[in-house]
Amino acid sequence: MTALVYVKKLLRARRFLAELSRTTLFIGCGGAAGLVIGSFSGSALAIGVGAAGLTFAATRAGMEHNLRELATAATRVDRQQPSSAPAVAEGVKPTDIEALVRQMLGKGRYALLLRPEVVPNLNQRQFQKASDALDDAMAMVPAGEVVIGRWGDQDETAANAGFGSPGTVVRVENFYLDRFLVTNRQYQEFVTAGGYEEMAIWDPEIWPGVLDFVDQTGYPGPRDWNRGRFESGKDDHPVVGVSWYEAAAYARWVGKRLPTGAEWEKAGSWPVNLSVGSRPQRRFPWGDSMDRRRANLWGSGPGATDSVYAFGEGISVGDVHQLIGNVWEWTTTTFGNWSYPARDVVLSTPMKTIRGGAFDTYFDNQATCQFQSGEDPVARKHNLGFRCALSVCDLAPAPGDAETPETAEPHEPPRAADEPVAAVVAADEEGACV
Amino acid sequence: MNRENTIDLDSYRLAQYAVQVPCYICDGGNTFDAELCRHCFAPMALAHQASTDKVRPQMLAAIGPSGAGKTVYLGMLLDMLSRQNGDLQMLARGAFSITLQQITMAALSRCEFPTKTPNEPDRWNWVHCQLRAARRRRPIELMMPDMAGEAILEEVEHPGSYPVIQALLKKCAGVMVLVDAMKLREGSLDEDFFTMKLLSYLIELDGDRKRGWSRRPIAMVFTKADRCEECFLDPAGYAASHASGLMQHCQERFERFRFFAAGVAGSCAYLPTPDGGRVNIPLRIEPRGIVEPFEWLVSQLRP
Repeated sequence: MTALVYVKKLLRARRFLAELSRTTLFIGCGGAAGLVIGSFSGSALAIGVGAAGLTFAATRAGMEHNLRELATAATRVDRQQPSSAPAVAEGVKPTDIEALVRQMLGKGRYALLLRPEVVPNLNQRQFQKASDALDDAMAMVPAGEVVIGRWGDQDETAANAGFGSPGTVVRVENFYLDRFLVTNRQYQEFVTAGGYEEMAIWDPEIWPGVLDFVDQTGYPGPRDWNRGRFESGKDDHPVVGVSWYEAAAYARWVGKRLPTGAEWEKAGSWPVNLSVGSRPQRRFPWGDSMDRRRANLWGSGPGATDSVYAFGEGISVGDVHQLIGNVWEWTTTTFGNWSYPARDVVLSTPMKTIRGGAFDTYFDNQATCQFQSGEDPVARKHNLGFRCALSVCDLAPAPGDAETPETAEPHEPPRAADEPVAAVVAADEEGACV
Repeated sequence: MNRENTIDLDSYRLAQYAVQVPCYICDGGNTFDAELCRHCFAPMALAHQASTDKVRPQMLAAIGPSGAGKTVYLGMLLDMLSRQNGDLQMLARGAFSITLQQITMAALSRCEFPTKTPNEPDRWNWVHCQLRAARRRRPIELMMPDMAGEAILEEVEHPGSYPVIQALLKKCAGVMVLVDAMKLREGSLDEDFFTMKLLSYLIELDGDRKRGWSRRPIAMVFTKADRCEECFLDPAGYAASHASGLMQHCQERFERFRFFAAGVAGSCAYLPTPDGGRVNIPLRIEPRGIVEPFEWLVSQLRP
């Protein structure tokens, strides 16, 4: 067994080196993240060709040959395993767009089909299918302002003691947020398709570290998986034991990204800007008081992860499930940006903000839409998962849609003259469209 | 000029003063209205409450070096047992028994750790509780103090300097020995040595072959294990690889011991203090492995 693991690791390492030595294959889509369509084979890549800012490796054929060879070798080593080679769209003819679309939809990668570069190659029916898939799986959160970093008690005593903060006003653009946490079944598609070898979707700084993202048996995958598979019966449970980098890579693989802390809070607390200075924001997606029956927290659930479809009563106004409870959720925001404003926290390692509380979160005030905690981006915890987001401006407008998000006149909520709006696009946040 | 006054003689008071009330911990005599034992500073309420019980309360203790997390562990444990409807349920006896839980929870919910337990025994928090276990017909009466680590160290180095610790540990039915897993991982041998000293002290305290410490249950708890996952997966293996001296000590001198891992904070950070130092703060509270060592210890107690 150990030898097998070693051989597989070696193969992965070789694959990485092979890719490193060649031009990276990805299509820049104008956003912060490259839109990777490495799993499209051969000339089917033409789907995305034509858009500006597109790079294409000249040595594609040679590299594919190399990869196929390695994939065959890997299969020889252990035939029991799902192939860990980059998916080469098996059985799909390069020009068969219909089959490709079907395959992409089957793997939950509909967001890629809705990119402006891809949409011109789809017919109306295919576009509609992808669009429906998006509406089914993701909830639209309208643009607006949200007060972020407000936490603790707001009364005078607490404020005097340096505990609690009134927060900062942040503007968030239109975006879509996954209605459910990413499940084991969904993540399995990514692992099986060889997502851990598609280095273009990984942040360059983590490339050497990707080889370390293995399961209990040494196969690429979340920490607690076994031989590249999740535990049976946990299909609908949120995927846990993934680092921030793995979450970000998955998000790119499906054509999405991770939400920023501000976006996450906006989706949960659903602020309504009625008048100047008045911003009613919910503490919990369902209202202002804790109701433990609506969320999987300590003492209210099975004491472990539960199905992402459970606890339906904890749904937010915008139809997003389990923002509170079940597992913590990774965001792109650096921890410390919006938290503890009155307290200068020193971190032993840079952290990413995590939100929402988990099945073992003990206190009510740590499972609110406002509470922020931090975690090392390479940590792979048993109670930490993620959901993805997608900026509306990264999507192609529907055919015949006169008013595109870019041209639509944004409705500005009333704001006090002296009230500053913080720029939401920090260096580490890829929330807004570029 | 003298005035003659008639003063009632409260003869019943004199009679009460004449009778000494023994402290439940050290058996030293006290007056009936003493709040703390004048010999060992344990609350006399323990003795008064015990005298009303049909069964004699048993004693457990959480011991370990300073900063190992005794206060957090005990406070968290008490709160969890009094909140959940599991196999083990706890009911505090006497208002003083809730103080430890209260201060720990107040600090943790604010994302802070409770302040250091003072070294003076008269300022320690004691807990007297009734424990209902699913498999036992009768509830168990338990007493536990939250002692200061430095005081324990002092007593271990110089037996007799803290009579309360000596008296308590003589009578304890079992102990939870807390060891900082993070310090062990960093290669600090202090934890290893201190714990071995503590265990040697216990054996010296009562070396009786039938009822002495070699036969009493000992739960070895690695605290702060939330920051090293391998400790949770295999606490005994962790002990073997990071505290081999301790492991060997346990195997040779104790018959009933087991290793556990516990953690309270998901991750931690530091907060600068005005005096230029820094304090450790938890970034969230997610208890893990807190009840298990206690549950095992209780299951080992004689009915």
